[in-house]
Amino acid sequence: MTHAVVEAQGVSRVFPMPAGAVTALRNVSLHVDRGDYVAITGPSGCGKSTLLHLIGCVDSPSSGSISFENRDVATLRESERSRIRLTRIGFVFQRFFLLPMLTAAENIELPQAEAGVPATERRQRTRELLEYVDLADRAGHLPSQLSGGEMQRVAIARALANRPALLVADEPTGELDDTTGNHVADLFDRVHADGTAILVVTHNSALAARASRRLAMKSGSLMP
Amino acid sequence: MTSFALAWRTATCYRARSALATAGVAIIGALLFDMLLLSRGLVDSFADLLNTSGFDVRVVAHEGLPVLRGPIHGGGRLAADLRLLPEVEDVTLVRIEDAVIPGPADDLKNVTVIGTTEQGPRSAWTLLQGADLPRSGTTPDRCPLIVTRHLADVRGLDPGATLNIRIAVPGTASALPQIACRVVGIADFAFATANEYAVATTMSALEAADTTRGPDEADLVLVRSRSSAGGSAAARAIVRVRPDLHAYSNEEVVSQFNQNGFAYFRQVSVVLSSVTLVFAFLLVGTLLTVATNQRLGEIAALRALGISRFRIAAMLLWESALLVGAGGLLALPLGGVLAWRLDRLLRQMPGLPERLHFFVFNSSAIVEHMVLLAATAIVAACYPIWLAARLPIAETLRREVIG
Repeated sequence: MTHAVVEAQGVSRVFPMPAGAVTALRNVSLHVDRGDYVAITGPSGCGKSTLLHLIGCVDSPSSGSISFENRDVATLRESERSRIRLTRIGFVFQRFFLLPMLTAAENIELPQAEAGVPATERRQRTRELLEYVDLADRAGHLPSQLSGGEMQRVAIARALANRPALLVADEPTGELDDTTGNHVADLFDRVHADGTAILVVTHNSALAARASRRLAMKSGSLMP
Repeated sequence: MTSFALAWRTATCYRARSALATAGVAIIGALLFDMLLLSRGLVDSFADLLNTSGFDVRVVAHEGLPVLRGPIHGGGRLAADLRLLPEVEDVTLVRIEDAVIPGPADDLKNVTVIGTTEQGPRSAWTLLQGADLPRSGTTPDRCPLIVTRHLADVRGLDPGATLNIRIAVPGTASALPQIACRVVGIADFAFATANEYAVATTMSALEAADTTRGPDEADLVLVRSRSSAGGSAAARAIVRVRPDLHAYSNEEVVSQFNQNGFAYFRQVSVVLSSVTLVFAFLLVGTLLTVATNQRLGEIAALRALGISRFRIAAMLLWESALLVGAGGLLALPLGGVLAWRLDRLLRQMPGLPERLHFFVFNSSAIVEHMVLLAATAIVAACYPIWLAARLPIAETLRREVIG
């Protein structure tokens, strides 16, 4: 038994391609503990996002093992992984991926509804989260009516909706200017301070500098 | 938020796509609805036409087309015998002859003369003006006539007018004398074509006018069965009494026509219905597939957030159902108007009874229409659902970012 939320042991990921297999990750080991804030940096194509996808249970390693809260992910069915993603992991994407037909509040409610949270509890939690990301006055706005920074804050609120143990973020400031990116980074600091573990993959050195652990990747390997 | 709510919000969010799909399904659905009406309309209309005569069994001398049927001799005796059957309520003899109506300046009009015995109500025509044919022995008229509205209009006939008729003998110049008939009424004939000149008179008047045929001959015997027995039982009873004749209930006549005369329309409607369903499938399937492909990143993100495959599949299925459902509902009034126009067009074909319709509204066509469109919606959603369900999440998210 470890205190790690997620632990990767000797993980490799090879993508078979018509022109030959591409190794995106080589024998990577990583653990993210409860309350941890880990930033992974590195050049484009070094395997950061691939590692994040494996940690986030949306992909499977070619070799090695990943355990999430002491459960070997490889032994889980897709429905079980989906349940883990829904309730224990919060995803933040570079391109936000808010549903364009739903308001900010409805986007935050969606994962809660999927998890079976009762409607009144859902609405209460959504109000709290909108206040948490300082968007209480934009609850009824569609994503198209929000700025990039506001959309990302809604996406962070959505990721936190089911009180996950781990927040994984793939280039969360990639589409934002520096000022807006800093606001998002501030928000991550708050999330971390409130006890949620964070794994962030970023090119943004300012964001990475706020993490408690910074790891660099190169050519599919974590640098010592 | 339910899958239906998500689908509804998607449909309202992408308005142009939804409107395009709905309009397409509405047009295709209207054609499908019309084909379903056509597949049974003529048969239903024909059955209705037969039933309006008030008789449910037809007795003829030979099988085959009416023009080839031989005469039934001893009609009076036959009618008396049939009336004794417990399954039979009423019997009417019918005789049909061609005749000419001389007019001013050698303007001869060919006319069909229907002679009928006086028993029972005559519902093969709807009286518009004047009186019905008198019962036997109640009138001094030698030749009372009911004429079609069309003939009355052309010749300016009113009840009480005199009309000379000369029976035509097939294959020869007629040597029969013309007889003066008195118009007693003007009516719409159920079996008459739009421009046909037809008159009806009593059987005795027709026998007097046509001396070339034997007395007491009939071309057709119409029988009304007792409601406790029904047409089929009455037909069987008649054949038992007179095995030399052929008796058909209305259902049997309709069934024969359905298998022979109307098979063409049924086949056409089946082929066109299938084609319209394929079009509906292609339209909705293509739009949903394109829409799903455009939203792969969104779907991958939803999956990454833990939204289940089932929820996403249900959302796409509802989306398909909404588009097809809305189009299908719009298709009903659209198809109704189209059917009405097509029916008017087709009924202009020569030789068709004026009251025969190609498109007849029936509730089962609506049910079939809905069931077929629902099935199309499900089939059309299959590929997009499969696409969304087997989506590699990580690869799709990576591709979206690179894209």
